Amino acid sequence: MSGLIHLLNNYGLSHEVIIKATFYFIAGLTLLFALFVVLSRNIFHVAVYLAATLVGIACIYLYLDAEFLAVVQVLIYVGAIVTLFIFTIMLTADIDTGSIRGMIRRVSASALVSLALFFILIKVITMTTWKVVLPGNAPISLSELGKSLMLNYALPFEVISLISLAALIGAIVIGKAEKR
Amino acid sequence: MVNLAHLIPVFPLIAFVINILFGHRVRRYSALVSILSSTVSLCLSIYTFVWFLKGQGSYTLFTWLILGGTSLNIGVIVDPLTCMMLVVVSTIGTLIQIYSIGYMKDDVRFPRFFAYMSLFMSSMLGLLLADNFVTLYIFWEGVGLCSYLLISFWFERASAARAGMKAFITTRIGDTGLLIGIFILIFSAHTVYFSDLANLSDASPLLTVAALLIFCGAAGKSAQFPLHVWLPDAMEGPTPVSALIHAATMVAAGVYLVARCFILFSAHAPALIWVAYIGGITAIFAASIATVSNDIKRILAYSTISQLGFMMIGLGVGGYSAGTFHLMTHAFFKALLFLCAGSVIHSIHTQDIQKMGGIFRKMKVTGLTFVIASLAISGIPPFSGFWSKDEILSEVLRNGHPFLFVIAMVTSLLTAFYMFRLIFLVLFGKPRSEIHPHESPKVMTVPLGILAVFAIFVGLVGSPFMNHAFQNFIYLGQSHKSESMEPDYLVMVLSTLLASMGIGIAYLLYVMNKNILPQRIRRHFTLLYNIVYNKYYIDEIYDFLFIKPSIRLSRFASEFDLGVIDGAVNGIAWIFVILSKISSWIDRNIVDGAVNMTARIVGLFSLALRRAQTGYIQTYLLIAFFGLVIIIFIKLIGG
Amino acid sequence: MIPQSHFLLLGASLFSIGIFGVLTRRNAIGILMSIELILNAANINLITFDKFSGNPDGLGQIFALFVIAIAAASAVVGLCLVISIYRNSKTILINKINLMKW
Repeated sequence: MSGLIHLLNNYGLSHEVIIKATFYFIAGLTLLFALFVVLSRNIFHVAVYLAATLVGIACIYLYLDAEFLAVVQVLIYVGAIVTLFIFTIMLTADIDTGSIRGMIRRVSASALVSLALFFILIKVITMTTWKVVLPGNAPISLSELGKSLMLNYALPFEVISLISLAALIGAIVIGKAEKR
Repeated sequence: MVNLAHLIPVFPLIAFVINILFGHRVRRYSALVSILSSTVSLCLSIYTFVWFLKGQGSYTLFTWLILGGTSLNIGVIVDPLTCMMLVVVSTIGTLIQIYSIGYMKDDVRFPRFFAYMSLFMSSMLGLLLADNFVTLYIFWEGVGLCSYLLISFWFERASAARAGMKAFITTRIGDTGLLIGIFILIFSAHTVYFSDLANLSDASPLLTVAALLIFCGAAGKSAQFPLHVWLPDAMEGPTPVSALIHAATMVAAGVYLVARCFILFSAHAPALIWVAYIGGITAIFAASIATVSNDIKRILAYSTISQLGFMMIGLGVGGYSAGTFHLMTHAFFKALLFLCAGSVIHSIHTQDIQKMGGIFRKMKVTGLTFVIASLAISGIPPFSGFWSKDEILSEVLRNGHPFLFVIAMVTSLLTAFYMFRLIFLVLFGKPRSEIHPHESPKVMTVPLGILAVFAIFVGLVGSPFMNHAFQNFIYLGQSHKSESMEPDYLVMVLSTLLASMGIGIAYLLYVMNKNILPQRIRRHFTLLYNIVYNKYYIDEIYDFLFIKPSIRLSRFASEFDLGVIDGAVNGIAWIFVILSKISSWIDRNIVDGAVNMTARIVGLFSLALRRAQTGYIQTYLLIAFFGLVIIIFIKLIGG
Repeated sequence: MIPQSHFLLLGASLFSIGIFGVLTRRNAIGILMSIELILNAANINLITFDKFSGNPDGLGQIFALFVIAIAAASAVVGLCLVISIYRNSKTILINKINLMKW
């Protein structure tokens, strides 16, 4: 990787430019995959595209100095949740659910609403003056995160484990086969 | 002596009330009640007669009405005419009621008959005692009512009911004339009292009209031409009724009225002469019909009409005493004739003389009295009819009415003829009926005998043998032109001759030739016979001229009432039905329709809104987000 | 280097795409996957704000961590429900599961 960067440095592209270019590339790809998620006909493809999107988002996290979270994202989201999705898709046999072109009315209405929402968000984002802090801050180290998790935010941590337990039990109960 | 005249009508009135209210309880004794009351009236009448002779006169009883300045005083008139009439009416009434005990023996409504008879006696006596036109008119109507009730006494027979109506309506026409005459009298003379008539000796055209109209009423009651049509049909009533009312008393009320108003009439010569001529026409007209009639009672009815015409002739030529004399004698022998006829009918059960014959052998008393009465009416001396008829004939000649004289003479001839035709066909010859006659019971024959005595002797009071006591008596209290009293021998001989001729012709035709000649005459003069036999078709003419149009008018009025008025009421009801139908339609379609439409609109709305309940969460979310977008948008725009 | 607003824009677009997917997809699992997209968009926002806020705690990241955990739990339960529905009505197309339609 560093060799590639050095190579690129020689061609006059600075560190920043490379970072920026790659960011926009990955971001665009992520968005593209996200679009495929919502537009695909085949539900299996959708799961794969979702996985790709999540990986892309993990890369974005890297740009935000959240390495731990990027790893956690990949591990849990892609590794567990998407797997779960694929399991369920396998269990429920409808693979091909038909295109969404059949429901033009609903689709156009939804598209309209989504676009409207998007434009509003754009407006809000561009209108606001964001408090910019110089990027002189050092990113948070993993040990710091761990410490604050265990000390300051121990309660939410425990609650999360409880929720996970509840989800587990709930899943078993709901997923239990009915007695004949 | 105390005045009791006003009590004379009271006793029969009490008898009427008793018989009407308690008739079914007293039954046979109702006759006793009536006869008792009549007898009391008779005694009181005789008492009043004597009381009058002692020098008493009319008197007032009480004041009835007070109108403005004038007042109407009800009183009693006691003068020769009234006294004479009171005795005559009471006597004959009592005798006929005794006779009725036998004649009406088997009738179911026995008490009611006597009640009506008593009512009639009361009204007639009250009429005679009235001293003013108002009271007179009240009792006039009273006798008319009783006549109607008694004619249609056997109302199960349609002919009797019709005859009663005919009598009432015909006399009503006369009564209207009388009423208008009274009004004219009140209007021009401002009085209703008979005693004031003497002060109206100045002739005036208005009073002439009043007199004529009063005669109109008299003509109705006394069955003069042209209002005579009711009397023959009135024979539908029981024979005692015919005897009392339609022979002796009620029909005499007309003559009595003319006599009562004689001063008024004699002051207006045209009215008086009119009376005479109407009487003359009636007399000969009725006598001619009687000659061909075959019903025993009808012959006697036409005879009554004819004799009343005679009386009107008498009064009309100025013979006040002559007319009233004949009134008295006629009452007796006509009543007797009717009672004899009733006796015959009672035993033979038919009224057709063609079916009678040879009755004299079995009914000696009836037959004898019948002959006596016929002799009286024919004017054979020395029976009563001769004297009174003669008086009239003398007066006619004396006052210079030759035409009327001829008519009167011819009438006398016809009278004798038809009476003895009746006698010969009924009493003699071979019996033509299967029913064997038997003499009537004593309760019927004794009155016959008593009346026969009167029929023979009562005329003598006006004869020269008693110095014309009657005429003198009648003139008592009346300021009237005196008449010469010597007997007119020419007239006497002439009338007796004519009467004998009439009897002889009857004998010839009906005894000697035994009915062959009359049949031949009938065959040769068929048209004439038919006209006379059908009473000159007067009834048919009246029917055509008056009755049918009246019926048509009343039918029209009733149809108008039904059609228009009831139709209007029905139309209003129909309108209401239509309105209610409209209102119900409105209620059903519009009002209910509005309600239903509201429900349906709600349904439509809910149908439309139901689409929102898709059950798709995505739709709900879509709408939720859409709302969110809107809100934020508004916030953005606004803020 | 990369301005804050760009990250936020990315988050916003992912969010919009996720909304579109939720409203459009007929398959129940597809809807759940779109929900995951939305949650990730929220995560991006959180971390962006955390980085650009200058706070030393790393609060945003912890928050995002919890969000992931919650997302996982919800995905688990949701998928079990989907399986249960599939057992009952043999389909997971939500336009066919319309017992609540009037």
